[in-house]
Formats: sequence, structure tokens, C-alpha cells
Amino acid sequence: MKIKVCGLKHPENIKAVAALQPDYAGFIFYGKSPRYMANLAAGALQTIPASIKKTGVFVNESSENIDRLVTEYGFNAVQLHGDESPEFCAAFKGRVTVIKAFGINEDFDFEQLKDYANNVDLFLFDTKTKEYGGSGKTFDWAILDQYKLDIPFFLSGGVGLENIKEVKNITHPQFYGVDLNSRFENEPGLKNIEKLKEAFKIIKNKIQQMKYGVNEQGYYGDFGGAYIPEMLYPNVEELREQYLNIINDDDFKAEFDDLLKNYVGRPSPLYHAKRYSEKYGANIFFKREDLNHTGSHKINNAIGQILLAKRLGKKRIIAETGAGQHGVATATVCALMNIECVVYMGEIDMVRQAPNVARMKMLGAKVVPATSGSKTLKDATNEALRDWIGNPVDTHYIIGSVVGPYPYPDIVARFQSIISQETKAQLLEQTGKELPQYVMACVGGGSNAMGMFYHFIEDEAVKLVAVEAAGKGVNSGESAATTALGDEGVLHGSRTILMQTEDGQVVEPYSISAGLDYPGIGPQHAHLFKTGRGQYVSITDEEALQAGLLCCQLEGIIPAIETAHALAQLEKMKFEANDNVVICISGRGDKDLDTYINYFGY
Amino acid sequence: MNRLNKLFASKNNNLLSIYFTAGYPALNTTVDIAEALEKSGADFLEIGFPYSDPVADGPTIQHSSEVALENGMSLKVLFEELAELRSRVSIPILLMGYFNPIAQYGVERFCKKAAEVGVDGIIVPDLPIYEYEKMYSSYFIDNGLSNIFLVTPQTSEERIRKIDELSNSFIYLLSSSTITGYNLKLSDSVEEYYKRITAMKLKNPTIIGFGITDSSSFTKACNYANGAIIGSKFVKLLGEEGYMDNIEGFVKGIRP
Repeated sequence: MKIKVCGLKHPENIKAVAALQPDYAGFIFYGKSPRYMANLAAGALQTIPASIKKTGVFVNESSENIDRLVTEYGFNAVQLHGDESPEFCAAFKGRVTVIKAFGINEDFDFEQLKDYANNVDLFLFDTKTKEYGGSGKTFDWAILDQYKLDIPFFLSGGVGLENIKEVKNITHPQFYGVDLNSRFENEPGLKNIEKLKEAFKIIKNKIQQMKYGVNEQGYYGDFGGAYIPEMLYPNVEELREQYLNIINDDDFKAEFDDLLKNYVGRPSPLYHAKRYSEKYGANIFFKREDLNHTGSHKINNAIGQILLAKRLGKKRIIAETGAGQHGVATATVCALMNIECVVYMGEIDMVRQAPNVARMKMLGAKVVPATSGSKTLKDATNEALRDWIGNPVDTHYIIGSVVGPYPYPDIVARFQSIISQETKAQLLEQTGKELPQYVMACVGGGSNAMGMFYHFIEDEAVKLVAVEAAGKGVNSGESAATTALGDEGVLHGSRTILMQTEDGQVVEPYSISAGLDYPGIGPQHAHLFKTGRGQYVSITDEEALQAGLLCCQLEGIIPAIETAHALAQLEKMKFEANDNVVICISGRGDKDLDTYINYFGY
Repeated sequence: MNRLNKLFASKNNNLLSIYFTAGYPALNTTVDIAEALEKSGADFLEIGFPYSDPVADGPTIQHSSEVALENGMSLKVLFEELAELRSRVSIPILLMGYFNPIAQYGVERFCKKAAEVGVDGIIVPDLPIYEYEKMYSSYFIDNGLSNIFLVTPQTSEERIRKIDELSNSFIYLLSSSTITGYNLKLSDSVEEYYKRITAMKLKNPTIIGFGITDSSSFTKACNYANGAIIGSKFVKLLGEEGYMDNIEGFVKGIRP
């Protein structure tokens, strides 16, 4: 849900409101309004960050005046609150966001909006008064059911702390945002920042319904949910109830940001890989998650979840790990926070990844071998879940990927989303454009890919390329190419796509890279795949190893074999010369030296 | 009214239920074992169908599931074996297993087939209430199958009420928040939990499961519920040689 704060006129107050980061800030140019901003200098608006749309509100003003004021004050949007015609609105469309406001009462005829549909970007529905709004009263929101057009709308009129929870329950598909004004004031035009803060908190704790995002039931389209036995229900329910409150809290954000900066070493660089760019005929950028403390993106999530666990009052941490990267990241943050840590790891993986087992032990974690089933990552996950069943009160389970029952896929995606958040800003700085043509990443469960995609998902012009591990070949019988080989089903608590037999038994995957050796993918990936929003491809062991070596030789970077899968996909892409391509270098290759050495014989 | 409802209408205490995994220790033993259990006095049975990733189960049942899968057990094979169920066994039968095999078989097809071979109820630990109600309940109801929900000491009163409302045969009370195969310790908090459930005066009978291993824990459980279920302990017996001859002794040892 978007938030618009309207009726601003005092410079200091404007700054304080802007610091809350609403989506729109409204300035009223109507002489009869007590919130008329006539005395406000244009310069007062320059301090407002670009992410906030500065909106001029006009009532039956001449188009020449509006034109002039848009230029003078740098408005990004105009809200036309009088009797402006569709043609009048159309004149501004394309230049600024056009919001047409209507006063609503029980007699309002929504049919009249049809003529405006192609001429405005948004509607704003306010309570009908003689004075063109500003009444501080609500209208009966049930009337909104009569609105059937596909233009999104703001809800305005009398929204206050008393009724904001009811606003959150509005499920109209075009409900775009809420307009906050007179109920959040000390006097007309002077906003009460504390009240606004409270409202922002309530509103932002609602899941924002986006096309490819999660809904309130934990589903991404057909995928997700929480298919868990009753024994896990209280644990998962506690998380579901609390996670948004906690992670949107200012204290939490401050601590998380501080650790990411000063402990992990963020922001990670966005490196313009010039020799790669030359070779592949496009601007190739590496997002260097390999430079994080502990050597991969996994630490982002581990830091976020340990802070979450602390605020939930948990005394003990459990985790699963495949290659050991997530186990090491979890053991690291547990040492940092002085919390007991138990890591489950498949017995076979413990042999394959012995150095990481030693690392975890040095960091003070207890590493428990998973001896059931195939003795790899999926069985380690089963053992961690069993532990959690037996320890429902004091233990938090730090899942390492965007998998598991809701809310885990959303929690992990949010903590990893820092990757694309930084990328956008870095691209803007380096290329002048924040959107690239392609973002690419490897996918096991899919956490680095989800972090790399997160802030680009709703920008459909950006192509998302996810690279799975084909192992010895998709049809070799030894593969981890989940979308190519899998079907819909339920794995580790969520409905997703997984590799399974006709009888619904989970198939053990194979990849040379332990981090991609997982029979499922996160439910949001399943959704991106099924809707066609993301392109899911696969790369064999051999292609990945060759690509890893190439990266060493062209750019002086030894990538993790997981990452090398994403790099190998570059060989198969056809780029235009000006394309900007970002590829997530999810981890460094030190842990894979033995594998590289055995293959290339160095 | 299915066989389960009839059973609870005629008898409301000391009910003994036994769980075993189909296909363990060998194929084509399901109906033999069921028949022997009925003859030995068990009141109703839970037949488990195996899954590769049984997160709610401890080592004993996990092992039985692995062996059953290696033996070639699947829902298809199980339904073939159960074709002769009702010519040999008359006590109520529940099928118990994880959701993914059912989803692949097709939930509607699964329910139809279960009803056709004479199954009375289904226990799917990882099928949540929300999904059951929203997507699948009609298949269960249309086929006269009871869906059994689990309740743990951590389940809220509100949720227990909801479960009571959705249930139409019995509610499966877990002795503690645990996976299968651990001994029941009747601590004060467990006793308090049972008393809390009793005080709620639910419309459905309750049966206690997980951690019931012998006559003593069975008797204790029956103080607080209409009966109890034994699983891992019996599955262990099936792993021993000559198990068919020992079934009667096992059952009589639990409830003389």
C-alpha cells in the first residue's frame, strides 16, 4: 500500500515528513484551503528525496498556472481536485503522474469515471463535500466495490489512527494507497510526526501485494504456504505474527545496517568487468558478494535472522547446511551474539566439505551429522526440522535459503534483497540508469538469486536469468536442474517445484557444487518460472568448471563453483552492445579449490 | 456413520490403536498384520504409507519407511494390497502419511480409492487446516472419510476449537511436542495439558499418541483420553524375526 501525506506547507515539517519516506507528498494550491502553501518557496521542496513523488494539488486551476507551478516546484505528480475534464487531465499525462480526485457519497456514479480511464494515471476517492475535500470525514468504503475500472486509486478522507486497521482490510484489487491529511495534524498544514510514524508502522507491516510477491496466506501464485505438521505450527505462527513488526522496527534496521556495513563489509562492490564485457559484447557487471565476510551472500541472511531470533527471545539456534557456507555464516553470527549453535549437515557432505566442518567447530558450533535418507542437504533440513519440533519454545531455526514454510521464503528474500538494492544505486551511479537489461544468478534453493532479483522483479523490462545445476547433463540421471526435471509438489513445508518420483518420493539430486545440490527451489522461484517472468536454464559441471577457470584468468577472481554456473550461462546469451548485465558473484572459490585442482590437475 | 463413528459410539475408553508402516518389513504383509492385530484385540489401526522425507518421525519409523520404499511400496501398491482388506478385517482403518505422495497421486483420486477399499479415515500431519478447508475438504467428506487433526501442548485453545469443529471422528492428541518414537514422560505440564483439554469438553473423542510404549503409559494416557495409539514400539517388533507370532502377545501386553 502506498502512502501519500497531503497538505504540507512548513519547511521544517516537510523535512520531518520526508524522513518518514512516504511515496507521495502533497502540496495544496487552492486559496480557500487552510493548507494553502502560497508562502512556500520552491527551494523548500528541493530537499525532498527523489523517491518521494512531489504532488501539486489543484482545484479548477488554469492549465497555464499548473504548467508554470509544475516547472517552478519540480512536481512529479498533479492531483486535480476540482471539476477538470478528461481532456484537461490528458494534457498533463506523460509529463507528470496525473491523479484525478472525486468526492464520493452513496449516490456517486462510478460510470462517469470511464471517460477519465485513458487520461489519468490514478484516481483519488475523497469524501464528498461542498468545499472540494478537507472535511476529515470518511465515506462508506463498501461503496468502493462498485468501482470496476483497472485504474488504481488512492483512498482519502478521514483516514486516521482509529480506522487505519480497517483500511488495511480493504481488498479491492485496484486499491493503491492511502492519503493521510487532517487526522495527522497539530493544526491545519502542520503534521504530527509521531502520529504519522505510528500509521506508517501499521501500514508498512501489511504485506504489499505485488504481482510476483507473497500474499497474506504466504502464497506466491500457486506456490508457497506452510505445509507443516501441527508440532511446528506454533513456531512458524510466532514468526509469521512477528517478523514484519520486528524487521520494520527502526532499532532493528539500525543494528542490521550497522552490522552489514561494519562487520560484513557492505556495500559490496559492483565491478564493471571489462575483459568479460569485451568478450561477451555487453557491459558485464559483477555484484561482488564473494567479498563479504565469510565469503558469500549467506551472511546477509544469517545476520538478519540472528537479530530476529534475539528479539524473539530465543536462546538457541539451529541450522542446516549443505556445502557448509550457510553453516559457517550461522556459526559466525552465533559466536558474534554469544548464542548456542547447532548445525545439521549430511554425513556425506561432512566428508566432502571437511574444512567448513572445522570452521564451524572453531566458531563454537556443534555440528551434528544427518545420517538418515541420502545423508545430504535435504536430510540435514529434515533433521533440523525434527530438532525444532522437539524444541518449540527456546530455539530459532535459521533456514539458509528462500525455502521452507512461509514466512521463511519472505524473510530470507528480504534479508538478501540488499544485493539488488545496492545494485540499483550502484548502476545509477556508474551508468546513469538504475535498471539493467539482465540480472543473472545461480539457483540451488535460490537465495542469492532472489536477493539479486528482488528489487527488479516488478520492473518487467529487466530480464531475470536463473541458472540451475545440470550436473552431468539434464537427462543423465545425475542432475539438479529442478525446473527441467521437477513437478509441482510439497517439500520442506512449501508447495513448490521439486524433483520427485511418480509416487511423490523426493529424488536425490546431483551437482558437483554442493550449494546447488537441492531437489527443490524456493516457492517464489517456482512462481517466477511458471509465470515466465524468470528464465530458468541449466549448466553442467563441466561448463561451470571451465567458466570458473575463465573468470580466474580474465578477471583475477576465483569464483565459487555455484557462481561459476551463472558465469557459464554468459556463453549462451545473445546481448546487444549497449546491454547492461549484472551477474551475482555469490561466493568465492576457496572452498572449491580441491574440486578445481582435481579437475584441471593444477 | 463410518466404522470409526460406530466404534466411538459403542466404546469410549481404553481404546487401543496400533500404527504400522505398509511394506515393512516386506510387501504383501499389510492385510496379514492388520488381521492379526484385529484378532489380538486392537480396536482400530493406522496404516502408514512411506515417504522419503518424514519430518515428524523418529528413527524407527524413518527406517521402516526407507525399507518399505526399497521394497517398492507406493500408494498404488498399497491400494492393490488393500483390495482384500474388507474381506478379512472389520475394525476401522486409517491411512497415515505425508502430503506429497497424496498430491502426486491426486487428492481426489486418493480419497475415492481409499473409500473404495474400505478405509475410514486419513491422517496427514503436514496438511494444514487452511489448505484442507480451502482446497480439499470436499473430497474427504464426499467419500465419507474422516480427516484427523493433531493437537500438541502448544496448540492454542482457539485452534483446538477450530479443529474440533472440523473433525468428525476423533482428535489426535500428541503427548508432547516431539517426533515419533520417544518415551512418554508424564510430567506435571503434560498432565496439566491433558486436564486443560478435558476441561474444554470437546465434541470429538480424543486419542493420545506419540510416546506410548507399554501397558503403563497406555493406562496413564487412557486416564485423560478415550484411548491411545502405539506406533514405533510396534514397528520395532515388525523388524524382529517371527513377528507374526508375537503380535498377539504384544497387544495383550499393552492392554491385558
